[in-house]
Amino acid sequence: MSDNQPYEYPFDLPDEDEIRFRDAGAIEGRPAGVPSSYDEGGSARWTPEAISEVHALAQLGRYQVRGYNTFNKRLPTFDDLTFVPATMTRLPLEGYRESCDTTTVLGGGRGIVENPLELKIPIYIASMSFGALSASAKASLGYGASKVGTMTCTGEGGMLEEEREASNKLVYQMSPARYGIDLDHLRRADGLEIVVGQGAKPGTGGLLLGMKVSPRVSQMRTLPEGVDQRSTIRHPDFLGADDLAVKIEELRIATNYKVPISIKMGATRPRFDVAVAAKAGADIIVVDGAEGGTGASPELLLNHTGIPTISAIRAAREALDDCGMTGKVSLVAAGGIRSGVDAAKAIALGADAVMIGNSAMIAMGCNTPRYPEDYAKLGTSPGACHHCHTGMCPVGIATQDPELEKRMNPKAGAERVARFLTAMTMEITALAKACGKSSVHNLEVEDLRALSFEASAFTGVKMAGIDRAYDW
Amino acid sequence: MSEHIVDVGKRHIKEINEEIQDACAQGKKVRVINTLSRHNLGIGLPDGAEVSFEGSVGYYCGGLNVGATIDIERNCGWALGEGMSKGMITVGGRAGMSCGAAMIGGTIHVKGDAGPRCGVAMKGGNIVVEGKIGYQSGFMAHAGKIIALGGAGESCADALWQGEVWVAGEVESLGVDVNVVEPTAEEVAEVDKILEPIGLVDSSRDWRKMISGQRLWYFESRDASAWLMI
Repeated sequence: MSDNQPYEYPFDLPDEDEIRFRDAGAIEGRPAGVPSSYDEGGSARWTPEAISEVHALAQLGRYQVRGYNTFNKRLPTFDDLTFVPATMTRLPLEGYRESCDTTTVLGGGRGIVENPLELKIPIYIASMSFGALSASAKASLGYGASKVGTMTCTGEGGMLEEEREASNKLVYQMSPARYGIDLDHLRRADGLEIVVGQGAKPGTGGLLLGMKVSPRVSQMRTLPEGVDQRSTIRHPDFLGADDLAVKIEELRIATNYKVPISIKMGATRPRFDVAVAAKAGADIIVVDGAEGGTGASPELLLNHTGIPTISAIRAAREALDDCGMTGKVSLVAAGGIRSGVDAAKAIALGADAVMIGNSAMIAMGCNTPRYPEDYAKLGTSPGACHHCHTGMCPVGIATQDPELEKRMNPKAGAERVARFLTAMTMEITALAKACGKSSVHNLEVEDLRALSFEASAFTGVKMAGIDRAYDW
Repeated sequence: MSEHIVDVGKRHIKEINEEIQDACAQGKKVRVINTLSRHNLGIGLPDGAEVSFEGSVGYYCGGLNVGATIDIERNCGWALGEGMSKGMITVGGRAGMSCGAAMIGGTIHVKGDAGPRCGVAMKGGNIVVEGKIGYQSGFMAHAGKIIALGGAGESCADALWQGEVWVAGEVESLGVDVNVVEPTAEEVAEVDKILEPIGLVDSSRDWRKMISGQRLWYFESRDASAWLMI
């Protein structure tokens, strides 16, 4: 046979249906050769989320705004670290019996202020404003914190009398917007916090949408009722770190050198920012990682700015060590701390204390499965709600609506906050004792191992098993 | 009222402020000399106190004032009377940046010029500047009045809330979201009432009153272009 002749089977071709798997065994409606991607799609770029984002922006003509915290799933978390308790090379403490000190003193290291903040536990409630939260939620946090010997912070909305009454210790925040600044409030505070940024949206000022700018909020902030309040990020009366040093001196004079002064920052370049803040004279530096929560923020900033809390803590501690400021300046870590386990890891990484926001709200009742019809109105469900920005909080915490506010019993809320803080503390001491520490503050980086290369690279924590730090 | 003299020199700032506060508490009039343009002089002075500073002062002089009458002979640095809630501060010369930043009440009177961002974030009270106010004065002023008798620099009255900027003389340029409005006779009379006690009323002035255009007060998709200005 010549090579130029087309090949022919020595048999007849069967029906086309036979060739295309449409024989008697075929399943109706499920043709072979049609991949599931016809239904599911497979583009890594144009995910259903990315497509709906374009549809949203095309309608709005502006970026999206929401509350809660980052939805970026690529961040390494505290779960990428594990503790390596005492075994043969060291001795554990009796976890169920022996005591473990949790006393935490913040802001006394420089020996300048008369009353450093003495807390019974290494956890306190983060600065969340009256405005973002209801007045009764602020009071609940205060009473709950007081019961377990810790403190709360005003946030940027000024000092709320209910919170001052509830909190045995209250830190007064000086935000760039300086809402309701009052010398009397400064002097009634147990500490001051100068905010230069926050983890949820570093480099951008606070945001409170009009639905939450109620008559009382607008009066406390000297704002027209119902405006979309977008605050400044730059302070009105200092620009750089050298001026901030003068400002800190002014605040010390105003408060008669009685209370410590914190600087709170979003974690971006903590290795340098923390060193500069220490040089400016802060008694306490609060580093808020990219997982930090918020009542409202441009969504892109939540998802795409800042560095993870675990990496920020190491960098901040290294900065203080290098400047010789460890022991003189206290370091507080915040941003996505969900439990005593996360808190213990933060302390081991180098924090003197941690600050919790979202988890304290969740303890009060945020995202509880109640009032399902109101979650539905927001297009969400219990466990997935992130609609703090709307002021329509189904459980009455992140709202200024008096009817919704009634849905949280403030006394029960206080008790839940107290119990949650107690449980967190118990978790921290359980881990500390397993690691052989008689004080939670003796937890150290050596007590941790990383479970992923990323977490190890981000923190300098040794990889599990090989017990060696890579020279990243 | 007997007078107490506080000599500043190179003493610790804490000691200086304590001496000023003690003398005020005893009901004495205070004269602060040898100021050397030091920062943080006269912080949180009490209601009814009378304190004068010879020469020039640095940053935050009269900061968080709660009702004192403060007189500065020559110039002052940044953020004079920041956060003050009550009282009167007079500056004989010029004021630096952020004069009256975030103040809540009371009056600041600057006889010379004031630097940039005069009245930034102010929540109330009045600032009267006989000379010119610097760039971006009135930035995000929530309430109160900034009154400049000798013109204003660039980006005047930028992004106001409900504060007002009144200028007699040239305004180099307007900030974002400003409306320049013709003041009514009643509004001019209100300003004259502020100027009257300091002897600065002049009916021949051609006022430009600047208030918020309110286009930056709300997120609105139909006005996205205005929103992009910031």
